Amino acid sequence: MKNNTKNTLRKMGMKLLLLTAVLVLLDVLYYYTFYPKDLEEHCSLMSLSQKAIQDNYDIVYLGESSNHAYSEQDSDRRAICVMLDSLLPAYKVGNLGKAACHASIYYDILRNIPHENTVKAAVVTVNMRSFSSEWIYSRLEIALRKEQVMMKKAPALYKRMLLAFKAYPHWTEEEREKKVLRGIKQQTFSIPNCPYHNASEWDRAVGKSGMLYNGTYPSSDTIILACHYIKDFAYQLDEKNPRIKDFDKIAQLCQKRGWLLVLNIVADNMDQIQALVGPELPWLMNQNTEYITKRYEKQGIIIVNNLNEVRDADFFERDFPTEHYTQNGRLTIARNIAEKFSCLFEK
Amino acid sequence: MLFNSIEFLIFFPVVTLLFYLLPHKFRWILLLGASCFFYMWFIPKYILILLITIVIDYSAGILIFKWKDSPSKKKTCLVISIISTCVVLFIFKYLNFVSANLVALAQHFGWEHPQQVLHIALPIGLSFHTFQSLSYVIEVYRGKQKAERHFGYYALYVMFYPQLVTGPIERPQNLLTQLHREKKLQYDNIANGLRLILFGLFLKMVVADNLGAYVDQIYEDPHAYSSADILLGMLFYSFQIYGDFFGYSSIALGCALTMGYTLIDNFRTPYLSDSIQEFWRRWHISLSTWFRDYLYIPLGGNRVPIPRWVLNTLIVFTVCGIWHGANWTFMIWGFAYGVLLCLERPLRNLHLSDRINSKVGKVLLKTLNILKTFIIVTLLWSVFRAPSFNSLYQLFSALYHNLTLPMQLHISTIAWIALGAFVLLDLLIRNSRFDVWCSQKSGFVRWLIYAFLIFGITVFSSVQQYPFIYFQF
Repeated sequence: MKNNTKNTLRKMGMKLLLLTAVLVLLDVLYYYTFYPKDLEEHCSLMSLSQKAIQDNYDIVYLGESSNHAYSEQDSDRRAICVMLDSLLPAYKVGNLGKAACHASIYYDILRNIPHENTVKAAVVTVNMRSFSSEWIYSRLEIALRKEQVMMKKAPALYKRMLLAFKAYPHWTEEEREKKVLRGIKQQTFSIPNCPYHNASEWDRAVGKSGMLYNGTYPSSDTIILACHYIKDFAYQLDEKNPRIKDFDKIAQLCQKRGWLLVLNIVADNMDQIQALVGPELPWLMNQNTEYITKRYEKQGIIIVNNLNEVRDADFFERDFPTEHYTQNGRLTIARNIAEKFSCLFEK
Repeated sequence: MLFNSIEFLIFFPVVTLLFYLLPHKFRWILLLGASCFFYMWFIPKYILILLITIVIDYSAGILIFKWKDSPSKKKTCLVISIISTCVVLFIFKYLNFVSANLVALAQHFGWEHPQQVLHIALPIGLSFHTFQSLSYVIEVYRGKQKAERHFGYYALYVMFYPQLVTGPIERPQNLLTQLHREKKLQYDNIANGLRLILFGLFLKMVVADNLGAYVDQIYEDPHAYSSADILLGMLFYSFQIYGDFFGYSSIALGCALTMGYTLIDNFRTPYLSDSIQEFWRRWHISLSTWFRDYLYIPLGGNRVPIPRWVLNTLIVFTVCGIWHGANWTFMIWGFAYGVLLCLERPLRNLHLSDRINSKVGKVLLKTLNILKTFIIVTLLWSVFRAPSFNSLYQLFSALYHNLTLPMQLHISTIAWIALGAFVLLDLLIRNSRFDVWCSQKSGFVRWLIYAFLIFGITVFSSVQQYPFIYFQF
């Protein structure tokens, strides 16, 4: 009986070895045949990494829609990175970002920049909304995470297998909504003299009462907007936040590859937030940017804090929290980054 | 848990490995736990519904067996068990449908009554495990199966993870008996099981899912496509549903076989059938035999006068249609098969094949019959696929009106290759099973086939998520 089992195990071991050899051969076959097409089709982010060497960028700019969104009234529709390029004439600045991107994606884009490159610095956008559950579990996240599968550091066939077996979050809308709700409940914070301890409590209180912090009862659209601000920004940053972990990885990567890292905290509509939600939320948001500044400045990373730098009039989308600026807003951010670079170059 | 998910790729080897590491007396605990985990991966709370069915039929089985000498008590117990099990099925699957139709009927007679909608999702595979549970009670009642005293084994019989969600619908004589037997690690079982899993994944992920993308496009907006596109869409759906369901069944059989359990074959090249009757002998065999044994024969089968036989056939196939889903389209789909079978009987009695003497003539007749059956089945699949009569009307109206339009669908080479490979494999393995057919090949050919399937699954599978079609039943 025991001999039978032994024989079976030996046979299985042999077949496993043979299977490994077949898989290696198939991987080579795939790499040279369908892999480039699959990258093109299922991983547009990979082409962004390649752009860094194709266009010989000195400074790579990684941002989401805040970089390129413009108002119809703008006469200057240039993206922030293009403005930065003209403000730093000695350097070639290029965009490697895409709408809805966040730190985890930036890390993969940076990691996949080939070793032979001319990059000297990376300007990475820090969108304060990207730390909240609403963004972490956003609809767009599924598509991005799917693209990330093909950016993994692994054999090509293995990555395609992960894609085939849907090894990425593919939540249904119901599951996604549940995750967002659970996440908002877990967004805890401590604000002096504030009766709320997590975003869910705060959101519910404002939504249910229909009353703003100053005692007024505005239209339901305004209340919805106030609730969005609460859900998007009412959290206290700590090292457990997945995005902080991603920024840590970016910091390590840039250090390893000898790139200067600039974290560009983009502006949010603090005037509107203050007007709708009260002073507590802007206070908390500033606490969070302080956390980021302290955490990363210690590591020699340059922080450009633009959070309060753009005024209400320069946000062209009024009914949803976005970081979409008019030309003035974009120019302000580009100037602030350029100034930091100039100071560095002077030194 | 889906068979074509990364979670299952971890779950399956872990469970199989633990199965062989554990002594026989503890294996039922492992398998039951694993099956619960597998089921709860979808919607955890629905395990309670499954538990209700299990408790009802487990208790009924014991009582029926206890009262085996008292026909009236035995019968009462059977009826109560069948009704209670069917009530669960009715509430979750048919209540909203019946209520909506009653309200519509009331409105027709001018009586306004708001519809009470039960906002519940259909528990996955409810119709399958309900039928499996019923087959146990009926077999105990008929004295063909002893009542199972061990609750764990009975629960495992209903919940055995490979076939829990989409069958095959097992009989207690086959599965329950096997669950009690100690299984030894055998190379052939592992090899054949893995072959079936590989084949099943190929059918689902490469064939069904690639074709599914085109089918969805056509059914979503048939008027945007030419008649040729629509016909192609209908043809693709025939192979999509076959690949999807045959794929699931193969994986189920393979998973069970790696642990030494043999499940019933659910398909035997159904599209090579030369009559509707034969098609139902080769398609979803576990369901068609269930209806044969527990509905058709008790109704009198074919040993009754012709009008009664016609009625029996229509009842069985209409119920079969309703079993698939609470929708008039399913009912019509089933009823149409009933009608076709009734029409086929006098034709069969003509014995056309016997009147042809030449071999070529016989082959030609058989080929024509296969083609005729396939066309009928394909047309009826469009009734099955359409979400409503209106969509079905739109489909056929577009088919009629868009004759002159140029083809809009651009079918990828991969989809054609997948379809070609499926048809070829189906022809090659006809009247056999993939694992058996494969084991008869030389080592080199076998490994070439494995390499082809693995490469296909990893490289050519669709990146879109298409749930198994039969999950909704």
